[in-house]
Amino acid sequence: MRRSVVALARRALVNALRRPQFLAPLVLFPSLFLAINVGGLGATRQLEGFPVVDGFLDYQLAAAMVQSLLIGGVTAGIAAALDIEGGFFDRLVASPTPRIAIVLGRVLAASVIAFFQVVYFLVLGLVFGASIKGGVLGVACVLAIGVVAGTGFGAIGVLIALRARNASTVQGIFPLVFVVLFISSAFFPLDLLSAPADTIARYNPLSFIAEGLRQPIAFSNKAGPVIEGLLAAAGIAAVSIGLSLLALRGRLRRA
Amino acid sequence: MRRGLNEILRVPAGALPGVIAPTIFMLGLAAVFGKAASLDEYQGVSFLAFILPVGMLQGAGFTGAATGVNLARDIERGWFDRMLLAPTPRPVLLAGFVASASLRALLPASFLLIVALALGVGWPGLLELSIAALLVMGLAAAMACYATLVALRFRTQQAAPLMQIGSFIAVLFTTAYAPRELLSGWLGAIADVNPVTHVLEGVRQGFVGDVTWAQTWPALLSVTALVLVLGALAVRGMRRQGL
Amino acid sequence: MDGIDLSVAPGEVYGFLGPNGAGKTTTVRMLVTLLLPTGGYARVAGYDVATQPGQVRRRIGVALQEAALDPLMTGSELIELQATLHGIAPRSVRERGSQLMERVGLSRAAGRRVGTYSGGMRRRLDLAMALIHEPQILFLDEPTTGLDPTSRLTLWDEVRRLRDDGTTVFLTTQYLEEADQLCDRLGIIADGRIVADGTPASLKAEIGLPHLDLVLADGSDLQAARELITRFGDDRPSTEGCHLSIALQHGAADIAPILRALDDANFVVAELELKQPTLDDVFLDKTGEHLEGADEPEVAVTEPV
Repeated sequence: MRRSVVALARRALVNALRRPQFLAPLVLFPSLFLAINVGGLGATRQLEGFPVVDGFLDYQLAAAMVQSLLIGGVTAGIAAALDIEGGFFDRLVASPTPRIAIVLGRVLAASVIAFFQVVYFLVLGLVFGASIKGGVLGVACVLAIGVVAGTGFGAIGVLIALRARNASTVQGIFPLVFVVLFISSAFFPLDLLSAPADTIARYNPLSFIAEGLRQPIAFSNKAGPVIEGLLAAAGIAAVSIGLSLLALRGRLRRA
Repeated sequence: MRRGLNEILRVPAGALPGVIAPTIFMLGLAAVFGKAASLDEYQGVSFLAFILPVGMLQGAGFTGAATGVNLARDIERGWFDRMLLAPTPRPVLLAGFVASASLRALLPASFLLIVALALGVGWPGLLELSIAALLVMGLAAAMACYATLVALRFRTQQAAPLMQIGSFIAVLFTTAYAPRELLSGWLGAIADVNPVTHVLEGVRQGFVGDVTWAQTWPALLSVTALVLVLGALAVRGMRRQGL
Repeated sequence: MDGIDLSVAPGEVYGFLGPNGAGKTTTVRMLVTLLLPTGGYARVAGYDVATQPGQVRRRIGVALQEAALDPLMTGSELIELQATLHGIAPRSVRERGSQLMERVGLSRAAGRRVGTYSGGMRRRLDLAMALIHEPQILFLDEPTTGLDPTSRLTLWDEVRRLRDDGTTVFLTTQYLEEADQLCDRLGIIADGRIVADGTPASLKAEIGLPHLDLVLADGSDLQAARELITRFGDDRPSTEGCHLSIALQHGAADIAPILRALDDANFVVAELELKQPTLDDVFLDKTGEHLEGADEPEVAVTEPV
């Protein structure tokens, strides 16, 4: 079983690398958005209620990471949907591969990609003058939350692929990524959000994930936010993997 | 051009993404960064009013890019070759694409306007709206030329992201989210040389204050220049393809 | 599906013959555990497909109609992935993979991405992947559709070789010639039901005897000729102009005596044709319609191998 998961994950990764037009939006778009936010809205640090940070970039890095990880989830979903459309999925189902491995393979690939996404933004931040307050331990925390979150988002992508009819439907989910991100405290402090984001963001797991990522970068290695972030990410991962497995079973029963 | 309009009439659902995306962006940004407008430099204007023009221009840019994507698709399918066999002069052919993009760009712009008005943004006045409409159409035309250029160069729908990113960068690397004084060094420098900044300010003026000639003519000049330059390049692109 | 009852013996090549939409692919999908049967049951390789799918999957090899391959991967990568998924030991994966690629003639193309393969090559890779774990039963869904005649014959040879090695082969096809030449037994399926079942020969014999069609030289005495050959076949021979048609009770063995008799009586035979009942005749008889595509392979879209 383990071998199957690894083999399928490796295949998913190789595929991703061979389809650069999928990888580009993964980091390119969030980077652009990051640049514009930092360049244009840096002055908001002066607002009352904005926490003290060394730089607006330090604050925004976490948002870029979450955005990138969410796009990663959609991408994993599109790839899975293409497998289903193209019949490769059938091949896997007709083989003795354990059903779980079919889902976990792609989810594991998402985890690996997530790792590199987080590393990319950490390096990008450092290059442009940000610093990671929490040091090496901080980096470890950020990577941990990022990878778990990326895993969860990947599983959501697979879930949608299993329920949708085709890849274009999954692609249509793209705008939703921005919607859920805008109603969280990823980009801006919770207390400074306007309606309707302010109320919803309080309960949005993305807020916790973003704050968990942000804490070691912009502030310090305080356990509270980091643990909350990790738990939120783990919660999403657990639920979405579970639902994916259910969706897989459901799909196998249907024509 | 008729074909372009036909497309929008036949496939109203196809026009949706071009309308939905800028709307989500506009509302989302306002919900997140709304409080930024309490900074003095915004001069009391609400954040939503401030970024409404950005949304309108994004919609225009997206519409222009979509024209290019459709052209690329037509090229891929061989339909474009058939059009070229007709005796229509190339500039007229281009003018057709571009004109249809311009008109279609008014759709997302109007929708955004209605949403913004519903959410409390003040009515800018007819003159102001006319100028804004003109500029929106102009930018859409310019973006359509750019996208056409890309389509002719790459001849595949896979070039779509390139078209969209071009429009995205053009509209956002400006005084999109904040007044000039608040932009950090590098972004300010880019905004200064980006002609779309003028266009943006031209559209924005009615929503943040009064329309002045001083702010209008740079906008008109910029948009005209963009259309002419990109249009000429596009026509040259068509000629170069042996068309 | 309307109700299918069939059984396939080990080591035989069983063919499912029918037009598009008859239910061939649906049946195959049920048998390979991709689809749950809505009623009844199916046992493949001794295991129930609904309750013991894992066991079934271990023993079957599947090559479906759309060669479900990943265009971005190379042939070797795909076949090695398949080997791993079927539990072949890590050490043997590469060796087995290259063995199989060689067997289907894809060794040179193994390092290239599947997206660059022709249709025939993809089909062959599909077959290699289906065989990687030496399955007891091989399911082939329309294996030669779209292939050029040479590739078709090559594939037929491979199927025969597999059968001789003891593999059971279940294939679906819309080609009469394929069913006739390749299959030990056939099931003819139309509208979700099996309308005939048996060996190709027995099915054809059910329909009727072979006929010998003769055209005599102009001016021959047809009446006399007719009386002469009635000895050989008691079926009423038909006459049209100078044509004679006689049913052959003993098949082709009757031809020589008939010709000798005609020759002895100084009749001159201008043309002669032996008409066998075809599976299309069987199909026509059972369903009232011709099997679509009965005149290919010449007409089919062919692809280079």
